[in-house]
Amino acid sequence: MKSRDESLDVLRRALKVAGGDEADASFISVDQNITRFANSNVHQNMSEESAWLTLRIVADGAVGVASSSSFDDASLARTAELAREAARHAGTTQGFAGLYRGGDGQPALATWDEATAQLAPAAKAEALRDMFASGRAAGVDFAGVYSTGRTAAACANSHGIERYATATHSDATAIAIGPRGSGYATARSRRASDVSIAALGERAISRATLLADVHEELAPGTYDLIIEPAAIAEVFEWLGMIAFTGQSYEDGSSFLVGANGRKLFGENVTIADDATDESFLPFPFDLEGVAKRRVPIIERGVAHAPVVDKMYADRLNLPLTGNCWQLGSSEHGSAFHLSMDAGDSSLEEMIASTKLGIWVTRFNYVNGLLEPRTALMTGTTRDGTFLVRDGRVAARLPNLRWTQSMTEAFANVESLSRDRQIIGTWYNPFGGTIAPTIKVRDWHITGKQATGSPGPS
Amino acid sequence: MQPTRQQLEDALKSLRDPRLRYADVRYTRTSQQHLRVRNGEVDHLSESVEEAIGIRVLVGDGWGFAASSDPSEASLRRTAARALEVAAASNIAATRAVQLSDLEPCVASWASKYVIDPWSIPIAKKIDYLRAATEPMRSDARIHQAAGDLSVFRQEKAFASTIGSYIEQTTTQMGAGIEAVAIAGDEFQRRSHPNSFGGDFQAAGWEFVEALDLPARAATCRDEAIALLDAPKAPAGRFDLIVGSSQLALQVHESCGHPTELDRAMGLEISLAGGSFLQPGMLGSFRYGSDLVNIVADATIDGAIGSFAYDDDGVAAQRFHLVENGMFTGYLTGRDTAPEIGRASNGTVRAETAARIPIIRMTNINLEPGTTKLDDLIADTKHGILVETNKSWSIDDLRLNFQFGCEAAWEIENGRIGRLLRNPLYTGITPEFWRSCDAITDQNSWHLWGLPNCGKGDPMQTMRVAHGAPYARFRDVEMG
Repeated sequence: MKSRDESLDVLRRALKVAGGDEADASFISVDQNITRFANSNVHQNMSEESAWLTLRIVADGAVGVASSSSFDDASLARTAELAREAARHAGTTQGFAGLYRGGDGQPALATWDEATAQLAPAAKAEALRDMFASGRAAGVDFAGVYSTGRTAAACANSHGIERYATATHSDATAIAIGPRGSGYATARSRRASDVSIAALGERAISRATLLADVHEELAPGTYDLIIEPAAIAEVFEWLGMIAFTGQSYEDGSSFLVGANGRKLFGENVTIADDATDESFLPFPFDLEGVAKRRVPIIERGVAHAPVVDKMYADRLNLPLTGNCWQLGSSEHGSAFHLSMDAGDSSLEEMIASTKLGIWVTRFNYVNGLLEPRTALMTGTTRDGTFLVRDGRVAARLPNLRWTQSMTEAFANVESLSRDRQIIGTWYNPFGGTIAPTIKVRDWHITGKQATGSPGPS
Repeated sequence: MQPTRQQLEDALKSLRDPRLRYADVRYTRTSQQHLRVRNGEVDHLSESVEEAIGIRVLVGDGWGFAASSDPSEASLRRTAARALEVAAASNIAATRAVQLSDLEPCVASWASKYVIDPWSIPIAKKIDYLRAATEPMRSDARIHQAAGDLSVFRQEKAFASTIGSYIEQTTTQMGAGIEAVAIAGDEFQRRSHPNSFGGDFQAAGWEFVEALDLPARAATCRDEAIALLDAPKAPAGRFDLIVGSSQLALQVHESCGHPTELDRAMGLEISLAGGSFLQPGMLGSFRYGSDLVNIVADATIDGAIGSFAYDDDGVAAQRFHLVENGMFTGYLTGRDTAPEIGRASNGTVRAETAARIPIIRMTNINLEPGTTKLDDLIADTKHGILVETNKSWSIDDLRLNFQFGCEAAWEIENGRIGRLLRNPLYTGITPEFWRSCDAITDQNSWHLWGLPNCGKGDPMQTMRVAHGAPYARFRDVEMG
């Protein structure tokens, strides 16, 4: 990971050779250690030290972008030439008023934990070894991943903006796999001390062994669904792509189009992009240098505007939200810190209030491209799907397929838990999702994994 | 700058551990260019050049891997030392013996073929091409988005290993496609050509894009997108289903390619991507599909983006059956997984770049053509649905229960193609679906589709694979 001086040196040299009318650049450096395990055995273990520069040049209203992992003067000159060449031919971008010129101070946020930054591969392996032993005692094997890392992100532009911040992360997932069922647990934080491998193992075991000998099936139909945060995060990842970007707002595919100020969901649904919440995964600015703030997308059921980068804030005449996480991205705004407000219930209370329903730990392979205007999605459940009957958890269910409009689902949220959980996302090094457990009425179950399939459910 | 062979081999020699059993080092330089024209504007125009080194060591029964974006000699030595440190940590929690299948050393050099170097074509000409391919789609107000994509990919790779292999490979690839999005009220319809999500891709040069002739297809894209707005919704129920070539390619990818990855079957990917219903005990005895179904992995096809000469274990590219006459007969394997089923590696281990651990990946996984002419297949279908071009995909963690959505469908009544239908969805269970296959069209309707975005691994690695597929008919499939 590069220091402030090293990072800003690369950025200043890149901007010096950029040319054009305006230019900005981002420089990311990452040190990360990722340990993967399966069958209670470490089978992949890696350490990476990488850095890359992205340079964007604006000339006559046209934009070109180039990136490189080499930062000597000759490589920077070559990168600048590629970006200039791109800008020369790109043509004017309508409505773009130019790069960010500053004016806001970045929030002071606790993003760094020295113990996490210094955590050695051996210490992680020892924690995993102990979890494997606890699994053997409980009759389960473990699979999953344990990642830690440190990131430095810097950006600068030709209007004098310079930003630099560092962040640490610790992220682990454990699946306990027993002969009659599997259980899932996950955690993510800026601090490794918040991610207890032993606790994750215990939670996964408890889910894998819950009602392990009691299996039932359920016919397709509509059911009340109790959805844990990991499953909500899968849905939010897709909403982030199909509904909350500047691109989806402009191209008409987002359900937010024409809905600004209109009540779409119940009073109990509030969804925001919030990188300033220190109990989540805080980060002080986006890669255009815009200071982060809480951006409501759905507030008490009422739709707001999507998140945008500077180009689409200008173009769509929307407030600048600070959501550029890749210079030149076609998404023109990505909600990398999706936060759903908590409620006043609990998982236990949701189960107790359910006559006939399903408690879901995690979704699998969600796809949100079926009918984007209603956010119609499909996916399956996995690693812990339970039948709830007469206020009690009654049996394990096979993995189920569902096909559900999310605009309908978020209008049918009956209750939300007081506790929220952070869930990491593979494509998002800066943030993730924080959400409570929610109970939704009338969720559409459309099929199941084949009867007698060889894996755990 | 690419390290010399000597520098790479010196990095391997610097690995000093008495329990070291194997090591390799890779260097990649990955160059990409992407252009997107949308509604007459250049929406995205970017170039990237990324270098990486990666060193993989097997010490005792612990794998260690370290990577860096700095390919200098000093960085190679530091990275080698980190790989040993990581392997030592792996040994703390390693509980299983690692076996590697035998391999002879080789020294080789390979490059994919092209006629016109993609980087020799000026950016202005590429933009003009995309504008010519998208402008005809903008002539109707109901078309909300007319977009075209063009991408160029080149990866230069060097590999050295402690068994004495040294291999250099370069692949050059191009892709392009167009899409029209029509909107009316809450109805949102997309039509793409030649395929959705960026088009089609080949290991080729500019000649591939010229041959696609996208400007000639723009009007059809526009008209079908508009027609879909008012088309009746595809019905729910059970139908005889004819699956078009590009959609069938994705069906092969999701329901045969992924479940025949041996690492998935062994549970090594279960925490993220999932496992496989195809377990080793089923090899040779499990009926995957009807007698007509032959699925082959072939990494040796000229022009396919899943082709190479040697995988990232240094094993030569191969062609072999995964499904033969309907029976499950083979897995995709690597050196450290093949011994689990008593076989030698069939050379399918690859990494996105040198900064990632090589894992089992699809190569070119092809449904072999049958003997039926497409016209005869339609004429032979009394009451069915034809679906074309993928819109959505989802399959469970064992690759059994799938659901696909397509951009368009057509009724087939009494052997003739009828009305256009919108939003078709079909679902099924993998072996039940493939066993219901009763006709596969011939070579004339078979096409090798490039898919540059197969995701697997943690951290996620995007791999470039291909699938050859004709049209095929499946009986009594659930739709809606």
